[in-house]
Amino acid sequence: MSARAGHMALRGFWYLLLLFLYAPLAVVVFYSFNSINSSARFAGFSLKWYRQLFGNEAILDAMANTVVLAVGSTAIAVVIGGALGYGLYRYRLRRWGWLIWLIYLPVIMPDIIFGIAEMTFFVAINDWLGLLAPGLSTMLIAHVTFQVPFVALLVNARLLALDPQLFEACEDLYARPWQRARFFLIPVLMPAIASSLLLALTLSIDDFVISFFTAGPDSTTLPIFIWSAIKKGVTPEINAVATLLIVAVFLMAAVSLMARRPAGKNR
Amino acid sequence: MSKQTATPSSSIEINALVRRFADGHRALDGVDLDIAAGEFFTLLGPSGCGKTTLLRILAGLDTPSAGEVRIGGRAMAGVPAHRRSVNTVFQSYALFPHRNVRRNIAFGLEMQRLDTATIEKRIDSVAGLTGITTLLDRPVDQLSGGQRQRVALARAVVNEPDVLLLDEPLSALDAGLRGRLQLELRELQHRLGMTFVFVTHDQQEAMIMSDRIAVLDRGRIAQVGTPPAIYEQPATRFVAEFMGHENLLAVTGRDEQGVTTPIGHFAGAFAEGGHLLIRPEAISLGRRQAAAPGAIPAQVVGRVYRGGSTEYRIACGDHTLIARASDPAAEGFEPGAEVNATVAPAGLAVVAG
Repeated sequence: MSARAGHMALRGFWYLLLLFLYAPLAVVVFYSFNSINSSARFAGFSLKWYRQLFGNEAILDAMANTVVLAVGSTAIAVVIGGALGYGLYRYRLRRWGWLIWLIYLPVIMPDIIFGIAEMTFFVAINDWLGLLAPGLSTMLIAHVTFQVPFVALLVNARLLALDPQLFEACEDLYARPWQRARFFLIPVLMPAIASSLLLALTLSIDDFVISFFTAGPDSTTLPIFIWSAIKKGVTPEINAVATLLIVAVFLMAAVSLMARRPAGKNR
Repeated sequence: MSKQTATPSSSIEINALVRRFADGHRALDGVDLDIAAGEFFTLLGPSGCGKTTLLRILAGLDTPSAGEVRIGGRAMAGVPAHRRSVNTVFQSYALFPHRNVRRNIAFGLEMQRLDTATIEKRIDSVAGLTGITTLLDRPVDQLSGGQRQRVALARAVVNEPDVLLLDEPLSALDAGLRGRLQLELRELQHRLGMTFVFVTHDQQEAMIMSDRIAVLDRGRIAQVGTPPAIYEQPATRFVAEFMGHENLLAVTGRDEQGVTTPIGHFAGAFAEGGHLLIRPEAISLGRRQAAAPGAIPAQVVGRVYRGGSTEYRIACGDHTLIARASDPAAEGFEPGAEVNATVAPAGLAVVAG
C-alpha cells in the first residue's frame, strides 16, 4: 500500500470515528425539535417538547435533584480532594507514599461493582443504625467518593509540576504558614482546582450507574429519569432532556479546557 | 513585624556544625567558620561536599544535627526561615509562576505587611539597581535565564536582609553572561555592604568574586582564606587539585635547605606535607644549554595556545608538568624541543596529603 493510500485510509478512519461519536448525539438533538412524536420521521421544527418538558413536574424535580447533587458533592469533593492531593504531595517521600495508589480504586473499579458495593454498605448501615436511608444523602456520599480521586490527582499533578524550591522561597521570603497557603498554594493551584471542579460537576451530572444503586424513591436524577422513561420508548421529550444535558456537559468541558490552558503556560 | 533584624549587615559564626541524614551520611561533619559582616564569602567545593546543606542551614530551611549558628551574634537554633533576616537566591531562581516580575519582588515585603507606598518605592529602587526596570510588568515565563537571575536577586535584595545567600545562581547561564554577572554581583555587594554567602563549584568564579573562600571537602572545611592564599598556598592536596593545579610531586626527602622530589631538590622553607606544588606560571623555559645551575632538563611534549598565554606540557623524566608562559617576548618551543625548566621559588608550596 502506498503512503498516499495509507493517508487516505487513516483519514477515512478518522471521519468514521467522528461519525460514530457525534452522529448519534446529532440525531438526539435533531429529533428533540421534531413536531411529531417520532424518532424516525421529521415532520417539522418545533419547540413543543421543550415546553412540555418544563411543564413536567417529574422532570423538573429530577433536574433540581441533579443540580443539588452535582453542586453539593462537587463542593465537598473539591475541599477533600484538594487537601488529599496536597497531603499526597507533601508526604510523597515518606514511608506511606505508596498510599496514593489506593485512591485510584474508584477510577479503575467498574461502576456497577462500586455502585452495588455502596448500596450494600448503606443498607447495612441503615439496618444497624437507622441512618443513611437511600436518598440524596447516600447519593451525595457516593458521588463525593468517586469525585475525590479525580480532584486529588489533578491537584497532585499540578503540585508535582511545580519547582520544589518555590515552597522554600515562600518560607525564605517571610511567609508564615497561613500566608503560604493564602498567597502561594491556593493561587498557584487555582487552575487545577477550577478544572477539577468542572470535571467533578460533569462526573456527577453524567453518573447513572452509581446513582441508580444509591438513589431513593424521591431522589431521581436526570439520567435515572431518562432510563426509566425510555422503557416506554424514546419520546422527543427525552430527546429534549438529553439535548439539555449534552449542552450542559459540553459547556463545562469547554470552560474546563479554557481554565487549564493558562496553567500549562505557567509551567 | 516578625522579622528579627540585627545590625544592617551581620557577621556569621558557625561552631562545630554537623548535619547527619537519616541514612547516617554526614553532609556536614564539624564545620567552624567565622564570616565577617559585609564580607563576600564563598563556599567552594565539588558536588556533595556539603556547601548547599550549609547554606540551607543558614537560611533556616534545614536543621543542624549538632553545633551552632549565630547571625549578628544571635543564636539561630529554633528560629524558622520566615523569621530570619536572611534571603536566598535559589539555584532554580524559584520565581512564583502566578505572579509577574513586580509581584514576585513584592512577595517578601507583602508578607512582612509593609505599606503599598513603601513596597512600590523599594521595588523601583531595587529594579534600578539590578537593571530590570523595563521588565517589571512582564510575566516570569517570558524572561530569559539572565533576566530570571536578576529578578531572583532583586526579590531577595529588596528585603534588605542582614545576610544574602546565593546558591550557584550563575550555573545555568552561558559563559559570556556569566562573566558579566559575576562582576555585577560583586559591584552590587560592594555598594550594598551586605554580607553575601555564595555557593559555587567553580574555582574561577570563586576567585573572581570573593573576599574569602572556604573550600569544603566531604563535609569538612579544607581551607579558609583569600583567593590568592588559596590559589598560591593550598593547604592540602585536595585544595590544590580542586583549584586546578596539576603540578604535584611526591616529597621523597627533606633537609634544612628544602625538599627532594623525583625530579630534583627544591630549596625553600616549606610547611609539612607529602606533595610539592609547582605553579605553572612559576616555570620558565629556556633553550637547553650546558650546565645551567638549578635548571631541570625537560622535553616539550605538547603546546596549547590559550590567548595571552601559552601552556606547555613538559616531560621531566617520568613526570609531566604544565608550564604557563604569558610573556609575549618569551621564546616559543615546538613539541619535541629539549629545554631547561627554571622554577621561581615563590611558585612553590608543600601541601598536606
